[in-house]
Formats: sequence, C-alpha cells, structure tokens
Amino acid sequence: MSPNGLSLNLIELGHFAAILAFVLAIVQGLAPIAARVLHRPQLAGLTGNLAVAVFVLTSIGGATIIYSFLTNNFSVLVVASHSNTHMPLFYKMAALWGGHRGSLYLWIWILTLFTMVLAFDGQTRYPERLPVILAVQGWLVAGFFGLSLFLSNPFLRLFPVPTQGADLDPLLQNPGMVMHPPMLYMGYVGFSVPFAFAMAALITKWRSELWIGLIRRWALIAWGFLTLGIVLGAWWSYYVLGWGGYWAWDPVENASFMPWLVGTALIHSITVQERRRMLHTWNIFLVICTFSLSLLGTFLVRSGVLSSVHAFTVDPGQGSYILVFMTVTLAVSFGIFLARGRYQEAEETVTSPMSRESLFVWNNVVFTTAAACVLLGTLYPLAVNALNGSRITVGPPYFNTVMLPIFFIMLLLMAIGPLVPWRKANLSRLRARVVIPVILGLAAGVTMAVLAWPVYWTGPVAVGLVGFVFGTLVVDLARAVQQRRVQHASENVVVATWHTVVGNRRHYGGMIVHLGVLMIAIGIVGTGLFRIEKSVVMAPGDVVKIAGERLRFDGVRTVKGPNYVALQGHLTSLDRGFVLRPERRDYGRQQMPTTNASVNSNLLRDVYVVMGSSVPGKNGVTRYVVQVIINPLVQFLWMGGLTMVFGLGVTLSHRVRRAARAVATEAVSAYVK
Amino acid sequence: MRRFLLLTGLLLLLAPVFGATPPEGGRVVHENALTRQELSIARTLRCTVCQNESVADSKAGIAKDMRALIRQQLRAGKSRKQIVAYFVSRYGDYILLKPPFDVVGTVVWVLPLFLLAVLALSGWLVIRRHSRATETPPPQLTEEDLARVRAARQQD
Repeated sequence: MSPNGLSLNLIELGHFAAILAFVLAIVQGLAPIAARVLHRPQLAGLTGNLAVAVFVLTSIGGATIIYSFLTNNFSVLVVASHSNTHMPLFYKMAALWGGHRGSLYLWIWILTLFTMVLAFDGQTRYPERLPVILAVQGWLVAGFFGLSLFLSNPFLRLFPVPTQGADLDPLLQNPGMVMHPPMLYMGYVGFSVPFAFAMAALITKWRSELWIGLIRRWALIAWGFLTLGIVLGAWWSYYVLGWGGYWAWDPVENASFMPWLVGTALIHSITVQERRRMLHTWNIFLVICTFSLSLLGTFLVRSGVLSSVHAFTVDPGQGSYILVFMTVTLAVSFGIFLARGRYQEAEETVTSPMSRESLFVWNNVVFTTAAACVLLGTLYPLAVNALNGSRITVGPPYFNTVMLPIFFIMLLLMAIGPLVPWRKANLSRLRARVVIPVILGLAAGVTMAVLAWPVYWTGPVAVGLVGFVFGTLVVDLARAVQQRRVQHASENVVVATWHTVVGNRRHYGGMIVHLGVLMIAIGIVGTGLFRIEKSVVMAPGDVVKIAGERLRFDGVRTVKGPNYVALQGHLTSLDRGFVLRPERRDYGRQQMPTTNASVNSNLLRDVYVVMGSSVPGKNGVTRYVVQVIINPLVQFLWMGGLTMVFGLGVTLSHRVRRAARAVATEAVSAYVK
Repeated sequence: MRRFLLLTGLLLLLAPVFGATPPEGGRVVHENALTRQELSIARTLRCTVCQNESVADSKAGIAKDMRALIRQQLRAGKSRKQIVAYFVSRYGDYILLKPPFDVVGTVVWVLPLFLLAVLALSGWLVIRRHSRATETPPPQLTEEDLARVRAARQQD
C-alpha cells in the first residue's frame, strides 16, 4: 500500500478514535453520578482508566491528522486548506494548529493530557475526591469535543481530492508562531485543573485547606505557560508583523491577557490562604473567574464577533455553541459556588491593615480591576453596537491611558509587599528597610527626568518605581544574606547568597519573577517613550541618518525561499558595519506579501528596518520606501519574559518538605474518617 | 549596573551627533517633514477595512489612500484638528482609536475609575472588618520574661 493509501485509511481510524474519545469523556463525566445513584462506588473508580483511554484515543486522532499533513493527504480538508507539498516539514506539523479546526483539536488534546496527568497524580494523594475532579474534566472534554466533532471537525474529507493544497498563512510560518498557540493553550487549559478542583470541592464539601496546596502548583504551571505564550506572541508580532511594535491591545491579545491578570491575582492569593488560612471563598471565586476568562478568550477568537488579526473566520453556529457552552459552564459553576460557597469559610482574619495579607488583598484589588478594565475595553464596542447600533472603536491609545496608572500601582505594591511581614508590620523597622530603596527610586526618577528632558511624565515615574522595586529586591536579599553570614561566618558573600536563594527557592523564585517584570517594565519605557522612526525613500547608495546611526541602502535582490520568493533589501551600517536584510516575501497564491523586518540588536537598542513598496524614480532608478525604527531596550522584554519563566521554575523546584506532607496526609485521612 | 547601562544607553541614543562627518558612499536622504506629521495623525485613526490596526501601521491599500489624503490636506495647510474632523465626518467616531468624550465614549473612560473605587472600597472593608473583629491586645510580658529577653540580647 502506498503511504498515501495508508494515510487515507488512517485518517478515518483517527476520526473513529476521536468519536470514541468523545463518548468515553461523557461516560467519565457520568461515572461518579452513576456510582452515587446506583450505589455502586466501584463505578467511580472507572474515571481514572477512562481519563487514560480518552487521552490515548485523542492522541491517535491527533497523530493521524499530523500524519496526513506529513504525507500531503489533500483528501483531508484541513491539510488541503493549510498545507501544500512545498511547505517545510517543520511547518507541516505546525499547520495542525494553523486553522480553527486543528487548533481546537490541539486544545482538546492538551486538555485530555492534563486530565490524564491529574488521574495519575491523584491516585495516591487524593483518591477520595479524584472521581469528581475527573468527572468535571470529563464534561469539559466532552463539551469541547462536541464543538470539534459537530461544528469544526478536523477529520472532514474532500472530494474530489485536490492535487495541491493551499498554503498556511505566511504570517504563521515562523518559529515564534509555531510555539505560541500550544503554550497559550497549555496556559488556558492548565487553569481547568484548579477549576475542576474547586468544583469537586464545592460539590463534595471538601475543605479548602486540604486542597489549596494541591492546586497551587497547577495554577503556577498554567500561569507560566500563559506567560510564555503571551511573550512568544509579542515576540512573533515584533519580528513578523513588521510594524515595530509587540503589543497592540488587539481583542485576542486581551483575551489572553485577562486570564493572565486574574491568574496572577490567584497565585498571590493562594499563598495567603496557605499561610494565613484566609480568603477561601475569594480564591474559589478567582479560580472560576480565571477559567471563565479562558473560555471567554476561546469564544472571542472563534465566534467571529470581534475583528482581530487573530480571529478565525468561522460560521455563526460555532459562536452560538460556544456561547451556550460558556453560559452553561458559568451558570453551573457560579450556581454551585453560591449554593455551597459558605462551607468554605475562612478561619482566620486580617490582623492589621499593614501586613503582608492586607497587601495581597490590595494586589487582588488592582489585578482584578486591571482585568475588568481590559474586559470593558474589549467588550464595550460590541455592547454599544448591540444596544444602539452605533460603532465605536476602543483602541490602543485608550488602553495605554487607562492601564498605565494601574501598572504603576502594581509596581508600587510589588515594592512594598515583599518587605512587609505576615500578620503585622513593625512600622519603624519597615521604615528603615524602605529608606534605601526610596532614595534609589527617587534618584532614578530624577536622573531620568534630567537626562531625558523633555519627556512625558510617565517616564520618570515608571523608572523611579522600577528603581524602588529593584532597591527593595536587593535590600531584601542583602538582609537575608547578612543574617546567614552571622550564622555561617565561614561562607563568603557569593556562597552565602547561593545558599540563601537555594534555601528558600519558593520565595526567591517569586522575587526573580518580579525582577523579570521589572525588566519588561524597562523595555516598555524604552520602546514606549524613546522610539525613533523615519520613513524615507531611498535609491541605491543613499544614506539615512537616524539617532547617530548611519545606514546605507545598497539596493535589492531577489531571493528564493523554500515556498516563497523574496525581494531582499540590503543596508549597511557605516559606523558599525552590520548588515540588515529586510524582505518582502511573496508566497504566491493570492496571499498578501509579508514584510519581514531585519533587526540588529544589542542590549540598548534595536535597529529595525522594514522594506516598503517601490517608487519609480527619475532616470529609471527604482527607489524604495524604507522604514527605519530605533527601538531602545526591546531586548529587555524578551529577557524579562525568560527571567519570569526561570523564576517560576525556581519556585516550582521547591519541594514540599516530607514532614509537612506527612502532616497534611494525616489531616486528610483524619478528615476522611 | 543595569540602571547605569540604561542611562548611558539613553544618553547615547538621545545625544545629538555633533560634528558628524559626511558619510562615505552616498547622499543623505531626509524624511519629508510632512511624513512625520502624516504618520502622527495616521496613528490615531483606525484603518477601516483592517482588523484593529491604525492607518499608520496597516499595509492595506485603503490605509495607503487615507495617508495620501492626510498628506494632501496637510499640504493644503489644514490643521491636525481639521483633518481628524474631516475623517470623523466621513466615517463617524468609529475611525477614532481613542473613544471621544461624548455620551457613549465617556462611559468607557469613567467606568474604570468607578471599578477601581468599588473594588478598592470592598478591599478596604474586608481588611477593616476583619482587623477590627480580631484585634485582641497581645499578651503582656511578665517582668520575669522581660528580664530573660534582656539577658539573651546582651549575650549577642
């Protein structure tokens, strides 16, 4: 049998596997209910096996789609519409999530993976509650499978079979874009786990002391993936879209930013519950909100109600399905929350307004406000249009104006929070700790104002706040190192610092994440306030001067890529000698040509060049529009993103001490009895 | 160190280049003064056929035409306000990336403040209510304990 013939048959096997997975997911959702109604507790035990089966079957389905892409099986609709024989292998595989059908399937695939991991994780640690948790996950899987199989089926066949496929959107043929959706989905889907825990806890009256520690890691992992996904998206936007920016407050970007904001509130507020046994109901509320916003994001992207760079053009049936699915999920989860929430009451209360826990409350206030504002700005045009038919735009300038003060408050809280102890702060001691950072912050702000005068007021304020936070990070660490050296006099500073950080990875991992946020803040200040750009018409030999940089345009040539033809410009830096080669790539097949920027980066600035259209000049010399952008400190954004993920890794590497775990297990078994 | 780098960087970037020598290998081209104004106006307008892009950022044909219109009107000596008003009269408020302060637009500007106020108030109430409910005075140290603490401190 030819490979293509095999592939032809395999895709049907995959389709069958997916349908079976859908059915089994429903069984998984029903099993604990059946166990209870029929008084057969052993039925609930099936959920674990079902979770594994659903994952395996979904994987078979996914593998057959990927195989169809690799073997150019154009009888499959998704392959014919997103791939062709000229595409590089790497992008053929990634084309699975190039369209709405495949990307929804990827979403489900990841969801079933998380469910299976959960099934293994819970087997020994929380077997009593596991069936209900898995049932909640089962319903989610079934809900999304329903959408996939009935309205957005990736296994659909084409007849007659085309001899050649269309192309993957050229904008998506970029490594950043290949990694961006899976990471984002891991984040979205990851928040389903805390959601399932919260639901199971509410349904079975599981006291949250006993499970909040369990969801912390899941929430952190989901948050990490979401962070990575967002940073990768920004990176892709910067290098591929050719507009010199990285964040446009596009509705779909906002859709990923909202769960990130509420998720950030959540991972802070979980700590409060763990340490101080407070905010129980609030945490459950946040868990539900985070996951609901993830769902909302999916809805916004797929329903076609928004105009956005990322939106898939799809039929209204899908929009209605997701709307109903989301409404049911929200109604059921908030209904259960209202009915059962009071069983999850907190034991302790805030002792002082000047304590770590109060500051965490403020953190939650600010982050939820931020999320609400993004939600408002994203949905307001839709609401206005639905109510009185007029069309308005809420664009980037609005979000920048509204979010900036909120970001400033976040930075301020980030500076003070880690310095203030739990329960109650000693004000005089706190004052002593804040002196140096405040001086540092003021100095930074003033220097900025003086050196970069005239500048918009936000610049000095932002830099001052960053200096303040940086100061508190350093002072906090220095104090801990000093204390350690009192106890271990033999250690030198480096060794002592190492031991301090490694000894309390949970705390210092968080501080590294904060450092990453600072780096991103610096990057935003640099690009937001000091970006310089010029758009000039150049003939070969012409020189453009910008911000002390001199670039000579040496002309263009034609370059052939694997599946595109590019017009490549050539610019030489006269002072530093680097060469820039911006391209306009034509992928043929009625695709819009893409502009691929060429960038020379160092720590301080990016020289970013984009080739525009040609302008017929005098004497038969063709001239080209060349856009040059000097983007200061962009690299801080990517480094900051990596630092955040690294810091999260450090935090997660902190193992729960065995003794503590034993106590917890004991408490669980005592409760179960 | 980072701050130092940042500041030197800013200095380098912003310092005007004094006594620049003529560049080897070509004549220096300058940006058309109109282009700068044109882009700055284009940045506040929405490209009507695009998906959430400004006229300045978009590569669509209509965005090009709109930029040409802006340039034409700038040449004719029209002010920024007049040009924006021209586009609003043609396309309505939809064209503005920043919602205007009219009945519909003001809501979206005021609501964030309102949200912040409500959430901050509830946060404050949570903290207040709880802290008042549980504010019990810390147990006093006895003289004996105090003496012990002092002795321990002196040993340090």
